[in-house]
Amino acid sequence: MGSLNEIVKQQQKSLTQPQENVAEEIVQLVGFIVGEEEFAVPILSIQEIIKPIEWTRVPFTPDYVLGVFNLRGNVLPLIDLRVKFGSPANDIDENTRFIVMKIRDEDVAFIIDRLTSALRIKKKNILPPPDTYSNEEDIIEGVGRMDDGRIITILKVDNLIKREEIVPENN
Amino acid sequence: MDEIQELLEDFLVEAFEMIEEMDQDLVELENTPDDLDLLNKIFRVAHTIKGSGSFLNFDKLTRLTHHMEAVLDKARKGELTITPDIMDVILESVDAMKGILEYIRDNGDDSAPDIDIEPIVTELDAIVKGENTQAKTSESEKKPNIVGNINLDEITLENADEIDFSTLSPEEADAVLEHLVELRNKEDMSENEKKPNIVGNINLDEITLENADEIDFDTLTPEEADAVLEHLVELRNKEDLQEEHDDNKQSSKEHKENKDSEKNENKAPTVKKETSMQINKEQKKKEVKKAISSVAEQTIRVDVKRLDQLMNLIGELVLAKNRLIKIYNDVEERYEGEKFLEELNQVVSSISIVTTDLQIAVMKTRMLPIGKVFNKFPRLVRDLSRELGKKVKLIIEGEDTELDKSIIEEIGDPLVHMIRNSVDHGIEPPEERKAKGKPEEGTVWLRAYNEGNMIVIEIKDDGKGMDPEMLKKKAIEKGIITETEAANMADKEAFMLIFKPGFSTAAKVTSVSGRGVGMDVVKTNIEKLNGIIEVDSAPGKGTTFKLKIPLTLAIIQALLVASQEDLFAVPLSNVIETVRIVEEDIYTIEGKSVLKLREEVLPLVNMADIFEIEKVLEPEKYLYVVILGLGATKIGLIVDRFIGQEEIVIKSLGEFLKGIPGIAGATIRGDGRVTLIIDVGSLMRLAKETHNKKVVTESLNEAKKKKEKPSDYTVMLVDDSAMDRKIMRNALQELGVNLIEAKDGMEALQMLKNNEVDAMLIDIEMPRMDGYTLAQEIRKYNKYRKLPLIAVTSRTTKADRVRGVEVGMNEYITKPYTAEYLQNVVKRNLGL
Repeated sequence: MGSLNEIVKQQQKSLTQPQENVAEEIVQLVGFIVGEEEFAVPILSIQEIIKPIEWTRVPFTPDYVLGVFNLRGNVLPLIDLRVKFGSPANDIDENTRFIVMKIRDEDVAFIIDRLTSALRIKKKNILPPPDTYSNEEDIIEGVGRMDDGRIITILKVDNLIKREEIVPENN
Repeated sequence: MDEIQELLEDFLVEAFEMIEEMDQDLVELENTPDDLDLLNKIFRVAHTIKGSGSFLNFDKLTRLTHHMEAVLDKARKGELTITPDIMDVILESVDAMKGILEYIRDNGDDSAPDIDIEPIVTELDAIVKGENTQAKTSESEKKPNIVGNINLDEITLENADEIDFSTLSPEEADAVLEHLVELRNKEDMSENEKKPNIVGNINLDEITLENADEIDFDTLTPEEADAVLEHLVELRNKEDLQEEHDDNKQSSKEHKENKDSEKNENKAPTVKKETSMQINKEQKKKEVKKAISSVAEQTIRVDVKRLDQLMNLIGELVLAKNRLIKIYNDVEERYEGEKFLEELNQVVSSISIVTTDLQIAVMKTRMLPIGKVFNKFPRLVRDLSRELGKKVKLIIEGEDTELDKSIIEEIGDPLVHMIRNSVDHGIEPPEERKAKGKPEEGTVWLRAYNEGNMIVIEIKDDGKGMDPEMLKKKAIEKGIITETEAANMADKEAFMLIFKPGFSTAAKVTSVSGRGVGMDVVKTNIEKLNGIIEVDSAPGKGTTFKLKIPLTLAIIQALLVASQEDLFAVPLSNVIETVRIVEEDIYTIEGKSVLKLREEVLPLVNMADIFEIEKVLEPEKYLYVVILGLGATKIGLIVDRFIGQEEIVIKSLGEFLKGIPGIAGATIRGDGRVTLIIDVGSLMRLAKETHNKKVVTESLNEAKKKKEKPSDYTVMLVDDSAMDRKIMRNALQELGVNLIEAKDGMEALQMLKNNEVDAMLIDIEMPRMDGYTLAQEIRKYNKYRKLPLIAVTSRTTKADRVRGVEVGMNEYITKPYTAEYLQNVVKRNLGL
């Protein structure tokens, strides 16, 4: 929360005080592919990563809410990130995974196409999302520039889904 | 301190229970004023509360109960007949007593500034003195007995301790003491006048503090033991009081003689007395507790939260049990005849039985008798009938029937409304009843009994009943229904109109009912409990209301139904019945689909339309309908399949998904899958909207696609051998059907999802996924439940064939085969 500002501040700091060690702070991320793009979320926000299991459709929800499934006796919502990000839904194959993340104290699972790797990135290499990104829903934390030149979109986990978008209040 | 607190809590629990009972007994007493047993019982309650109250120093309460007791005592001795007027006063004092007790519960003392007991005490005294007119007594009361600055009337034996003699003038002190002595004498006298105080086989008057040690509590009944203990406590109290009184008298005399020494002399003994009294009380308390624990029933009070937690755990256990049974059934199929199955069966059955028993046991710990709610109704009916000038008798049955605590708490208000309604609207005034040849006194029955997993509460009256035509007319006037709707309305439905908001049948609005809100509230409350209301009425004969309420809310019985490919759990308590109909049974009235079921006309909705489920299944000859009932509403819900009945545990859908219309939550089934649970109330509202815009017969045909020519059909050939596929292709091309081909099970499954397939020819031995597994996977989908699967293989043993049937193959063809044979099989399966 508000970490975008912190990053900006820190970046400003690192510009004014180039010698300090804050810039060396490392962020650990987990990278994955959804559609054509590589995304990452902080490793600490991930509860677990599982292979796809059967789910149950839930009526009256946006199409990116696939439904609910049973994870060891708990009923968890399942979100298709491809649909959420506007690409057509993909078939589930052997690389498909469910990433279970904690959002506002609730476990929620997201379908991703493929895991890439665990990433370590210096904080100073994370930049705020460029203006060209459509980030109306404020779901992008920043853009990470990897040492090998890859660009990774870092997601703001807490904003990935919102209750008011799923269940209209007046009903 | 804790011990006192504990004692106080015990006292309150006991007192509230007793008062509730007392209310009922008093009303009964009014009808049978000569019932000595009843009188004795009521007297004992007042007496007990007085005793315990004084023990805990609740002076106001003690004073009130003391005067009540006096009246009851007189009645008990036959010196007084309880008239309705006297009963009014007694009931008023019971109310005041309740008020004080509630104040004690909330604040820990009995000052209860809002409750003025003096007028009641005055009235009670007047009754004791045999004066019936209240005016007279208040007149005599108006001349207060005042000496100096002291109003002697305010001083009683109970509050004597509070008098600070050091502040009084000698005259005042004398007068006060004299007054106290007088009071004491009076009390002693009335004490002596009492009949021998007999409980069970024990004459309490024979028991004194001195011979108390000789009593063998083990031989006494709990009631006797209680009475004896109480008696002893009272004796002890009296002794203490007497001693103290003497002390005070002595010390104040000294005070007269020597003003200087007064302070020391007076204060010291009082303080000492107080501490010794404290000790005495502690002792007494211990004695009482010890004795009670040796005779009374063993009970323990537990925080409801703990029970809830226990219930949650049991819920998990039930789910695990369901899962275990499911797995056992799978294992049984696969390893039929194996020895270990028997053993496994035993374990599974015993776990299943124990789980069920455990669940019932925990449910029972949360159960309370419905009598807790019923108890207040005799009083309600009595007050109401007096207020309305009617004669009404209330008959209560089945008050021992038990219900979950949370339901008990919710059921009170709706019942009050219904009883009021029966007395106010149902029962006619005495003259009218007489004219009709009915007994002057009307009767209201309040009955509770179990029916399966439900409890039924029946409210019945022998009043004027309801006229369905009148109700309809009224509803049309108020714009609640249209003329056409009214014309198609059965009598039973017409009765349900009274539950519509804004509907009131009373010609004039009384303070009791008739504002048109009451019955609507009843409906809402009962719906909250997932209950059903039924009404039956015969004009001139009376009306019967039946409330059917599920026993518990956490673990429920559900009917599992499939709508297209999706499963839903419908709470069984709301399922009135299930029926199988054909399309011709559906009528359309004003563009809305209805089902005529016996006498009733029910709105009919397709569940798939409500939840906007895509229709993939072709309609079959028969339609399956669940008749749902909630509160006063009934609808018919078309589903595609009944799966069965199962015990389910309600789980929340979580923060993000909860509150979705029509869905109450989810449950985890035996196979580990999640099934959504229907929120019947919300579903009913959705159904109403859907009903208004969608005609069922049209919706049923949405999935119906005309297939006439062979080219409308597609057959999938699954074989890893290109040559075998070619043989099949050649044979089937003559039929003119479309053909698609897959090399193995995995590919076939993928193709099935993307193509409309009408039949499949499946080889058994294939790489990646074999034919058996493929068939098994396909049958998991409701959509493909009826898709013809034909095994084409060179495996010819009987075991292979059996396996084929097990996984859901429709036919089994062995290679080699003739082209003609294959064609015939495919034609037959496609229905060509």
